[in-house]
Amino acid sequence: MHRTRLGNLVVGGGLALLAVIVLLPFWWVISSSVKLPREILSRTPTMVPHSFTLQHFQKLLGSSDFPHYLLNSVTVSLVSMAITVLLSVLAGYAFFRMRFAGQQMLYRAILLAYAFPGIVVLVPLYGMMSAVGLIDTRTALVVVNVTFAAPFAVWMMRAFLTSFPREIEEAARVDGAGPMRILWQIIVPLIAPGIASVAVFALVASWTEYLFASVLIQSDARRTIPVGLAGIIGQYQIDWGLMLAGATLTILPVVVVFAFIGRYFVAGLAEGAVK
Amino acid sequence: MSAVSKDAPAVVAHRVRRRVFREQLLAYGLVAPLLLWLGASLLYPLAEALVLSVQDVGIIGTRGHFVGLANYARILGDAGFWLSLVRSVVWIVGNAVVQTVLALATALLLAEEFPGVHVARVWVIVTWIVPTIVVVIIWRWLLSTSGGMINPLLMQLGLISRPIGFFSSGPMSMTALILINSWRWFPFVAIMFLSGLQNIPLDVYEAAAVDGAGGLQRLTRITWPLLAPTVFVLTIIGTLLSFNVFDVVWLLTGGGPSDATTTLPVLIYRTAFKAYRLSEAATMSVVATVLLMGFALLAIRQLAPKSQGA
Amino acid sequence: MLRRSLLTTALALTATGGLTGGARAAAPVTITLWHMEQPPHRVQRVQELLDAFNKANPDIVARQEPQSWGDVYAKAPAAIAAGNAPDILFAIPDFTTVIKQLGTLAPVQDLVAELDAKHKFIPAAVKPYSYDGGVWAVPLYNMALSLWYRKSVLQAAGVAAPQTWSQWQAAAKALTKGGVYGMGLPANKQLYTDQTVYAVMTNAGASELFNADGSVCFDNPESVAAFKFYKDLYQYTAPDAASWTWGEAEACFDSESCAMVLQFTVIKSYDQQGGKPDDLGVIAVPHADSRTASNTIAYSNAAMILAKDPAKQAAARKLITFLLEPENYGRFLNMEPGLFLPVTQDGAKSASFWGDPLTAKYRPQVETMIANSQFGMLFGFTGEKVFPSIGAISAQNILAETLQKVVVDGQSPEAAVKAGQARMQDAARK
Repeated sequence: MHRTRLGNLVVGGGLALLAVIVLLPFWWVISSSVKLPREILSRTPTMVPHSFTLQHFQKLLGSSDFPHYLLNSVTVSLVSMAITVLLSVLAGYAFFRMRFAGQQMLYRAILLAYAFPGIVVLVPLYGMMSAVGLIDTRTALVVVNVTFAAPFAVWMMRAFLTSFPREIEEAARVDGAGPMRILWQIIVPLIAPGIASVAVFALVASWTEYLFASVLIQSDARRTIPVGLAGIIGQYQIDWGLMLAGATLTILPVVVVFAFIGRYFVAGLAEGAVK
Repeated sequence: MSAVSKDAPAVVAHRVRRRVFREQLLAYGLVAPLLLWLGASLLYPLAEALVLSVQDVGIIGTRGHFVGLANYARILGDAGFWLSLVRSVVWIVGNAVVQTVLALATALLLAEEFPGVHVARVWVIVTWIVPTIVVVIIWRWLLSTSGGMINPLLMQLGLISRPIGFFSSGPMSMTALILINSWRWFPFVAIMFLSGLQNIPLDVYEAAAVDGAGGLQRLTRITWPLLAPTVFVLTIIGTLLSFNVFDVVWLLTGGGPSDATTTLPVLIYRTAFKAYRLSEAATMSVVATVLLMGFALLAIRQLAPKSQGA
Repeated sequence: MLRRSLLTTALALTATGGLTGGARAAAPVTITLWHMEQPPHRVQRVQELLDAFNKANPDIVARQEPQSWGDVYAKAPAAIAAGNAPDILFAIPDFTTVIKQLGTLAPVQDLVAELDAKHKFIPAAVKPYSYDGGVWAVPLYNMALSLWYRKSVLQAAGVAAPQTWSQWQAAAKALTKGGVYGMGLPANKQLYTDQTVYAVMTNAGASELFNADGSVCFDNPESVAAFKFYKDLYQYTAPDAASWTWGEAEACFDSESCAMVLQFTVIKSYDQQGGKPDDLGVIAVPHADSRTASNTIAYSNAAMILAKDPAKQAAARKLITFLLEPENYGRFLNMEPGLFLPVTQDGAKSASFWGDPLTAKYRPQVETMIANSQFGMLFGFTGEKVFPSIGAISAQNILAETLQKVVVDGQSPEAAVKAGQARMQDAARK
């Protein structure tokens, strides 16, 4: 379909606006993280840095516990992601490719978990974790992350798990394969984009989690980035350069990951949305 | 069906029944880990919250006595609670409207063909993949008057003559928060809309073009009606998710100024950890859960239709 | 894993009331310190001191876990309830009242008396922790609000550093021009605003929140006058002041957007911006015209001992004693040079304190800060008795909330203060 000149203008203008809205804030923060303090705190902010310094990053990586926070975030997020994927694939297989009594009801119950205000769970969960000795452990964070990511993950799986006909499984059945073999050898490869999407979703959700991490983790060595960053920034005095450097370094890992598997995630998200 | 068998039909039927039974067991086995996980981490704490709500516990860790429904009576009669609920509704609606508008516009844009469109479709979502703390840092920095870029920019564009305090008044604060949260989420929603758009067959548009329909008419007569179901589903999900947003509000305004942005999650957190009234907070949580569950149950009919399969 | 088993051991010891303490004397006693000084350079300095302490005391291993003020009000009670409490917990006075209510705090008047004999505490530093027949924490460092300005800026505008309210208002007005805000005052519902509000209140004669019998006396003419004055002064502040915390006020001053601010210190960031020591002016918070002397708000930060096990308690006391020794104390205070002030007389004279380059560079200013801190007080801790509800009043920032009613909602100071009184009474009910 052809676009008129006016159409081109609208699209071009719209795209420019979109780019500005989405990307400009990041540019400001990242470019400011290499400015000298006096340029950061100035009445006339600069679009392009006039000065250049790596002192904020040096302080962040050298004197603060940021590297620990990074490691903890990575560990917790990866494990949460793996478990979420596993649980949602298994449960999804049962819900969408099998029949059993109470199926509808259980699926709806899981979706209902979406609606839980996290805050309800905060204090009792703390008590529970304490009783089993999981306070100040990364395990506790993984438990929480999976809990809040899994329902959405199961929902996302549905589109993929219902997108191929029964004949594929039946053919495999004829060849003598049991349900689990069918799952691992046939179905999983078929829904790989869906798995990638769920994985990225769980990863991002875990990476950003703040509320539970702030209460469940007590020691600095096990802190994750969101809580650690909020703390580094300071209470009585804000080290703005440090804050901006921390923000920059927090953006970086997810952007790198996304550069590799971003298109699968977006494709999966898109597919999941319509079905 | 099993392979060709030379056995009597009764034996075959028996084997089939056994296999179906085994499969049912397997199905339960596959669903069990998830259910147990959710049960332990959601149901049990909810039960605890219920217990707390009928006691009078103050600071966490202190003992409380059974007080029946006194907390419920107090909460439901407390103007502060209802005001918070209203603010939560404002928050939800504001987010839904802004995000839907932005996401639709973005989706329409990204549905066009232009150089770099594929890259744009992937990277537009960058505001969603960064942690909330970064979003908070970005906007707290940008909106401040000592080094932030937004005020000088607005002044240069001639839109304002003096710097404004974005968190200085109630309505302004709520608006700013809604815009910030929407900034974070709209690309995510846009991608979902985009696929909805891409599922509309081109021939429908072409037929309309043949009939002389202009761009605007195509939008309102074709695009919108066909996209509406997707928009509806996503709005419901978005509502549930945005009700729960805590960290953005808490880290940027702490619920202020003057309680203007104290949505229900913020009120609950404050009641538990700042006012040291744990049982009251638990009561509010239970009420909030009931309300959300009610909404979700109605909504789930749309998300999980009765019929099974694609 | 090792940490968890150490913790389990600690729990076991605690549970049995330290009966097995003697049997464990051979292995080093580990104690954990929670403090809220999270900025990396402060954490580093604390670690240096702990390393020195551990070296001097091979039978003790002391560790730190920095926490954030935002979290710790929730976390500490939860940890105590769950048996995961630290052995030493730093505190400000209202936080101590919260912890004390949980019933796990050991009184330390004997330790304080002992240290007082050696180092001479500033009475204003011990007062907020002395009530109910005991002293509940050992003061460690002080912070007090002062008024900061640039001498050259005031000179250019033809105003002298203000000492009374009318001078203050005139100065703020004269200094507000060319995009500069004459007086940077916050109005956020947050601790910083509580502090600035109280600094003004106490200079109006409205220092008391409670009567001797524990009833709230917030609603009085002096309080109303204080809020009215704050409102008058507020017109000269930055537009986003309703979302200010300490950092934003300091940033405003550093970027020369604010001519004056109320702050604990601006020395470090001012220096980083390239400011000249000679140009930095500091003076006591101006007092109402009807009064003759200035007060300010002062936070005596202290250490609470939560450990139950006798060996750990002894270790904790040793650590606190170590920190207050003049040769260590200066280094402790200078974890943030130009912010933390000594609570002991010999600390104020110690070479380790004045030896820090930044402290030495801004000596006149720091001396003024120390002098101001002598007249510091803290809301809720001004009388003979301390009432537990101050914890909830502080945590909910009711002073700041009252101010917001005036400057954000436009209510009259009388109505706002009345409402504030009701809120405090509500917070006091149990």
